[in-house]
Amino acid sequence: MMKAIYTLQNIQLSRGTTFTLQVERLELMGGGIYALSGPNGAGKSTLLGVMAMLMLPDSGALHFAGKMVCGKISERKKLRRQITLVEQTPYMFEGNVFQNLAFGLRLRGTRGNQQRRLIVQALEDVGLGGFDGRNVRELSRGETQRVALARALVLRPKVLLLDEPTVNIDDKRVSAFEELLIKLSQQGMTIVFSTHDPDQPGRLGAEVIRLREGWVEDAPERGLSPA
Amino acid sequence: MEFISSSLHAALVLILAFDSEVVQAIWTSLYTSGCAIVLAAIFGIPGGLLIGLNSFQGKRLVITGLNTLMALPTVVVGLVVYGMLSRQGPLGDWGLLFTPLAMIIGQTILATPIVANYTLAAVNGADQRIITTAMTLGAGALQSALQLLKEVRFGIMAAVIAGFGRVIAEVGVAMMLGGNIRGYTRTMTTSIALETSKGEFAFGLALGLVLMTVALLVNLFLNLLQQR
Repeated sequence: MMKAIYTLQNIQLSRGTTFTLQVERLELMGGGIYALSGPNGAGKSTLLGVMAMLMLPDSGALHFAGKMVCGKISERKKLRRQITLVEQTPYMFEGNVFQNLAFGLRLRGTRGNQQRRLIVQALEDVGLGGFDGRNVRELSRGETQRVALARALVLRPKVLLLDEPTVNIDDKRVSAFEELLIKLSQQGMTIVFSTHDPDQPGRLGAEVIRLREGWVEDAPERGLSPA
Repeated sequence: MEFISSSLHAALVLILAFDSEVVQAIWTSLYTSGCAIVLAAIFGIPGGLLIGLNSFQGKRLVITGLNTLMALPTVVVGLVVYGMLSRQGPLGDWGLLFTPLAMIIGQTILATPIVANYTLAAVNGADQRIITTAMTLGAGALQSALQLLKEVRFGIMAAVIAGFGRVIAEVGVAMMLGGNIRGYTRTMTTSIALETSKGEFAFGLALGLVLMTVALLVNLFLNLLQQR
């Protein structure tokens, strides 16, 4: 039986003076694929930021893998290492593709041959085999997006958060990318992605969480408690 | 015109002959300014980084203070530190006045706000995603901050170079706290001031040329690093 990887309860997070993310109750199951949909400004990126533990809610409770996410920095860092977020326009650190993929591995103490093997594999997974020596400033937007995905995948996270992951990828590559996500989900990885493509959740067999003006308007039945 | 050209000739002769007084002044300048900039970097880089990365009450006031300190007159620093280190001052027992260490203390005070301010500007101008990207890949606060420093390293280098430029070219602190003692605390700048006032224009010019060369070398070094 699948266990909840995320439980959000009475979450409130204000950003600026006009926007507040409000989640009464939301539960995401481990190994599932979830799509966040909604118009611009609905709160998709903010919700991903909360799930990535980059933003602490002003109030409410966030549980990850059965543990309460608290304000203690060291605890949060430990939990955050099981999650990676790929932003809509990812930032690439100065240097080459290999150095970017090695960053997270180095932090986890993975070095040498094992590091190289994992990096080569991750690049092949995203269709960028042989790109390890490329300078990141010479990559196209689509390639940058895929390198960012490889940089996340190389860490083998429990949860992969993707903010509009296919927005910069050309149509030919989208289906390969979606197949990869399905494969990762089958391997037990939880995937949460935001999208504007109404057909994408269906193609991935994802459960849809619909947001509007900071509110969760609609979510899978077990994921959203009755109001 | 002849006066200038003959002085220039005499200056070049002094430099090429490795005149001991010229060499000693160059060494004292490089040593005191080098130590001061290392200390200023130790205080200024983390200081600028902390101010840039954190929101706190009075941040604007701190930044205004730093901006003001950047224009701190060297003689004022010299005066204040002189007051502290002189016999009657609170630190008079340490016997530091008119030593290279006193000059290093004064020059560190001069350079730290410059290094901190330039670091702050580099951090403020950096891409906001650097920290979040590092964090999403598993970095803690310190590791993220170090990654940010790595990404803005040219700005940090500019901070250090600007601070070094300030201290190697200053006269006030070196004169007031070093005392311009021949062979001990005499720097290029204090030598230039003294020798020119004595009418030894060629000697002053020789040191002026060396000072310019040092500035040129430091900038060439920075350019070289940026091209790598």
